Amino acid sequence: MSGAFRRHGDRIRAELEPFEVQLLRQLRDSVRASVEGQDPDDPAIARLFPATVSGDDEADDELRRLIRDDLVQSKLEGLDAIVELLEDATPNRGRLRLELEPEDAMLVLGVLNDLRLALGARIGIEDIDRDALRDGDPRTRTVAIMDHLGWLQEQLLAVVDPASVRHYDEGHGEGG
Amino acid sequence: MGLLDARMAAPATAPVREQEADTSELVEEDPPWDVLVWDDPVNLMSYVVYVFRKVFGYPEPIARKLMLEVHNKGRALVASEPREQAEMYVHQLHQHGLQATMQRSS
Repeated sequence: MSGAFRRHGDRIRAELEPFEVQLLRQLRDSVRASVEGQDPDDPAIARLFPATVSGDDEADDELRRLIRDDLVQSKLEGLDAIVELLEDATPNRGRLRLELEPEDAMLVLGVLNDLRLALGARIGIEDIDRDALRDGDPRTRTVAIMDHLGWLQEQLLAVVDPASVRHYDEGHGEGG
Repeated sequence: MGLLDARMAAPATAPVREQEADTSELVEEDPPWDVLVWDDPVNLMSYVVYVFRKVFGYPEPIARKLMLEVHNKGRALVASEPREQAEMYVHQLHQHGLQATMQRSS
């Protein structure tokens, strides 16, 4: 399983495994429910709609209010657009093929990132020591899913903006 | 990659102030705001470079330097701008999933 994305004329062609499409649909549904719900106790919401101003709670509240509707809207649009893209996928030798316009590709990059952020927030990734995770731990599976989505994201990035991945061929680092 | 190229053509610091003499006083009265990006265990290093290129139009070496600063020091100052522009950057960085905040420049 290699080369999920490659340039095809002006477009980018994606070849996804059926399980990847299934996974993307499931995660999209669950993250969409979070974004719609806007439950302040939902860790995914805290991460996708983070603080805006440091050291000034009043200014932070004000700016959050100012940008929240638009931010919710753009997250929902991305999550909805990916469903439409997946619906257009055509079977090809056991995989599912998608043709992405350049704007679609940027949107998919953002959605993959949001899905990973939401998953990470739900399992409290900040406090997890990856080396100490055991096989039976449900968080192990979530981390594996995050890594897989990250692998897809990195491959898409290599096609969309090769300069951004130029120095990271040796492995996909995290941070930032 | 048209969008990226278009953004990259934009200068990192707008020369607008020099050209629009009428507003220069107003701009000077409003001290700049620093836009900070904070380290995060999920965002890919390459994705952060991509976002800095896309949002700020920074060339790859600068975007990469800033990303490494976030990664190694926990945060980086990515722009210093009048309030409205800083708010726009925070908004765009949040759209891309980065943890960005702004604060009065000290």
